[in-house]
Amino acid sequence: MTSQDIKNGLLVNRIGRLTGSLTLAACMLASANALADQSDMNPNVTEIKAWDTVKVSRIPASIYLRTQDDPDDLIWDRVPEYRTALLPAPPVHQSVGLRFEEGSTRTKHLYFQVARSDERFYIRLRWKDATEDRNTTVDRYRDGVAVQYALNDVDTSYMMGSGHDDPVNIWYWRADKEQIENLAAGGYGSTTTLPQQNVSGASAYFTDPVPADREWHVVMSRPFESDGEYAVNLDRETVPMGFAVWQGSDNERDGNKRVTHTWILLDTSLDSDTAK
Amino acid sequence: MTVKRQLSMVMDLNKCIGCQTCTAACKLMWTNRNGREFMYWNNVESQPGKGYPRDYENMGGGFDADGALRLGRQPSQEDYGIPWEYNYEEALMTGTDPWLRPNVKPTWGANWDEDEGTGDYPNSYYFYLPRLCNHCANPACLAACTRNAIYKRQEDGIVLVDQERCRGYRYCVNACPYKKIYFNEEISKSEKCIFCYPRIEKGLPTACAQQCVGRIRWIGYRDDEDGPIHQLVDKYKVALPLHAEWGTQPNVFYVPPTSPPKFGENGEQLDESRIPLSYLESLFGPRTGEALDTLAEARQAKADGRGSELMDILIGYKHSEMFKLS
Repeated sequence: MTSQDIKNGLLVNRIGRLTGSLTLAACMLASANALADQSDMNPNVTEIKAWDTVKVSRIPASIYLRTQDDPDDLIWDRVPEYRTALLPAPPVHQSVGLRFEEGSTRTKHLYFQVARSDERFYIRLRWKDATEDRNTTVDRYRDGVAVQYALNDVDTSYMMGSGHDDPVNIWYWRADKEQIENLAAGGYGSTTTLPQQNVSGASAYFTDPVPADREWHVVMSRPFESDGEYAVNLDRETVPMGFAVWQGSDNERDGNKRVTHTWILLDTSLDSDTAK
Repeated sequence: MTVKRQLSMVMDLNKCIGCQTCTAACKLMWTNRNGREFMYWNNVESQPGKGYPRDYENMGGGFDADGALRLGRQPSQEDYGIPWEYNYEEALMTGTDPWLRPNVKPTWGANWDEDEGTGDYPNSYYFYLPRLCNHCANPACLAACTRNAIYKRQEDGIVLVDQERCRGYRYCVNACPYKKIYFNEEISKSEKCIFCYPRIEKGLPTACAQQCVGRIRWIGYRDDEDGPIHQLVDKYKVALPLHAEWGTQPNVFYVPPTSPPKFGENGEQLDESRIPLSYLESLFGPRTGEALDTLAEARQAKADGRGSELMDILIGYKHSEMFKLS
């Protein structure tokens, strides 16, 4: 029994006594969920550092996904999971610098899985967030997550690309609209919406009695074949890839975010390592 | 930021009667729909007062003495005032509701503390302060935008938000110390006073100036030496920017309000004005006293029949002389 079990158990008891057996049952379910997600210690999660290569898993043609981007689909239990650390992005503008916590080393773990069928590429992201920020109002900011791909090689700056010649393609999920924005950038401040919006996705927020265990699950997917000048070509040896997470409750937007520093390399070939 | 020419506005606070016709003109033209309902690109507030959004003068923004952006507080929806509608249909047409009432509980609005002012009888006072975007020479909103979505037009210095580039980060809302740039929740982008540029381009004044019944507004180019702006700001030096210490170099100027003498304990007139000079200086800077003295002299000259070019400008006989748009 881990300390987490005890914590969950205590909570279940406390809440159960207060609100009756229905809540108790709900909390036990939630508790089981929390146990399953002890992935900080989970040996089945592979730690990924910058410059490591991750390989996609095959979604066999025989498997039918009832909902294309279901963030809680059973298939994801059968695909290897990776974890990487996101660090505060270095501020590149006064406005970001003003809101930057000097010396902040707050890391955030992002769990990700990559898979493809013959026609489609999928990425599933999962991270802890105690608050579900789905609104964009005059003084509130939404949660968000993004995957960035270098269109060319790893010499491209991981900070939004390097000018016209080495741009990046960004898939940005925003919590206020259940949609993925397909974007391109060539340096900070240049983020542009692409004419071809063919990245789909969906999210689910999993709540938990323990706020620190609440988390977002987001799936994004796109036809494997690229379409458009700034759409990442996934059909090549390795694709440089990075992530960003925005925490709405911390007023994060734009350059106020946590990101992968440098690149993770995505191998999209399907010769081995498929889901069983 | 240098531009070829700068359009500017002067408002004479001695003539403003607080009728809000400017506010209504602006709202009907630009902000009565599509997520802009809470916005007043032009508003008239009673001063001393909390202003709009509530307590905006203490929200920060602008620049510090070294020219670096100052962090501000983001106004909440309540600070602006949540717009409400009335149940006209139910209360007046179908009769299904016996009361005419707003659909939200009003707690604050753009003109909530109108005419409250401050001070004790017989020395209580207030005046009206119409406010719009200052189309600053050094706009904090522009400096704060990480996407270069805000620009200042070369031909007239009007500050605009490129709606194609804006991604709704709201740094500009935070940075503008006048809080004259607003976030539209419906489109997730920021919007602001456009100085009625489609009218300006046709040689017409802004809606707020055209409709002003007190004829308190002059519009023209700062470099037009025969125009009203140059005369009032640079020649007679009676028009001053609001809160110049915030470092944005506003291009909207105010002729500060004169006021009658204060009464002493026994009803005698004291040698100080009803609106304390120190208060006016906190708004319009250290030259306020000089401007008020110049105004007093010009008034006296006019009263004495000696004539005064300054008073003739301030009276504003003809719109064609008040609006010099070429």
